[in-house]
Amino acid sequence: MGDDLAEAIASASALVADRAGEWDRTGLLPRQLLRDLGAQGRLCAEVPTQYGGCGLGSLAGGEYTAHVGSLCSSLRSVMTSQGMAAWTVQRFGTARQRDECLGRLTGGELAAVAFSEPQAGSDLAAMDTTIRHEGDAVVVSGRKKWVTAAHYADLLLVFGHYQDGAAAVLVPAGAPGVRVERIAEPLGCRAAGHADLRLDSVRLPPDSVLGGHGLPLSLLVTTALAYGRLSVAWGCVGILRACLAATTEHAAARRQFGRPLAEHQLVARHLAELYTGEQIASRVCEHASRCWDSGSPEQVVATVLAKHVSAARAAQGAASAVQVLASAGATDGGLVARAYRDAKLMEIIEGSSELCQLLLAQHAISAAGASGPATATGFGAGDLREAP
Amino acid sequence: MTDQHTSTDAVESELLDFLAGQTRSRWEPETDLFAAGGLSSLFAMQLVVHLEKSYGIAIRGADLRLDNFRSARLMSALVRRLQAAQSDGLDG
Repeated sequence: MGDDLAEAIASASALVADRAGEWDRTGLLPRQLLRDLGAQGRLCAEVPTQYGGCGLGSLAGGEYTAHVGSLCSSLRSVMTSQGMAAWTVQRFGTARQRDECLGRLTGGELAAVAFSEPQAGSDLAAMDTTIRHEGDAVVVSGRKKWVTAAHYADLLLVFGHYQDGAAAVLVPAGAPGVRVERIAEPLGCRAAGHADLRLDSVRLPPDSVLGGHGLPLSLLVTTALAYGRLSVAWGCVGILRACLAATTEHAAARRQFGRPLAEHQLVARHLAELYTGEQIASRVCEHASRCWDSGSPEQVVATVLAKHVSAARAAQGAASAVQVLASAGATDGGLVARAYRDAKLMEIIEGSSELCQLLLAQHAISAAGASGPATATGFGAGDLREAP
Repeated sequence: MTDQHTSTDAVESELLDFLAGQTRSRWEPETDLFAAGGLSSLFAMQLVVHLEKSYGIAIRGADLRLDNFRSARLMSALVRRLQAAQSDGLDG
């Protein structure tokens, strides 16, 4: 596994080389590069080898994600989407769906995951998309917003209401009734292919619906997002590592007032804070991944913590990096300028900072035994009680 | 705790201990955790991970329906069924 990780990391460096700035400016990743990485199983490297994946554990997969995130957050975002689609299929798919779909996701096909809607952002329970049986088909109708990687995707994993609960359904991007409308100028991860989706009575074979039925929407979404949150968290570690490297290099070389920037105390504080942020984010992500790798139930809360801490630190760290590099870092497409825009988005997607804080506060209350049985352990207390 | 065919009672009492540790209150074997307790989807996910780790089972696809996790008794029945299916080589 160590060799696999080292090889994947070296290969990512060679593939991206110095092109991330150009991808950011043009808003596009080379499709063939995505297909090649996908066919090597390296867009969802944690998929078990029996399904064509690299079989990386969460910790190794996280280090790989951080490395790609240090090179290009747009590419890392595409990986997060692919990995989240694969993880959801692994969890909720039937044995046949796992065999077939994971094979495609490690064979060069690209996937995107559609949660948010015009009226359902943080409040995903408010989603309107429906998946229903009609004759010998299932019919999917709804609108989705801000679907990362949808511009490149062959397969869209769409969440919606289904029977007495919810389901995720695999929708080919080319199916009649599907329209993918690219978001023209996203603030960050500009080449990640964000798009809005219109699904107008899209008819599909019934086995496009993952797994069974009777799944509450909140459980389905929480489970799928868990992977995405940890992937984003590791991506933020990558942003911090890239910013730290660029900033220390600049502060050591650039001289003002007769000495290196790093010897000016106010600049040194930026360096110390960046280093601190990188270390803290690394440790919380490592902890969460170890919980995943050991099967500890603590993984659920540790993942929310990792996402929250890492995104906040990345946003602060990238802002410091731009401050220290100043005119040397203020050009669009440049590493720290990209990091600045990309990191801000990380505080919003996959559960905003505020939503993470709510979950962590509820956990803190219940872990202290401060709530009665009626709200005990309420991580999003009561969200399973009422069927949406 | 990965013995084949862990007895239902043993699973049930271990689960009640786990629930007590996590929620700081005792639950009856047949209490509906999600109807009465206001328990959350994050907690349901913790239960899934706990069952998989403690009993060496994989809970996938249609088995993830909430009805399998409503009470300690229902969860122990799920564990028993999945352990039996695995020892019959009927994985997934």
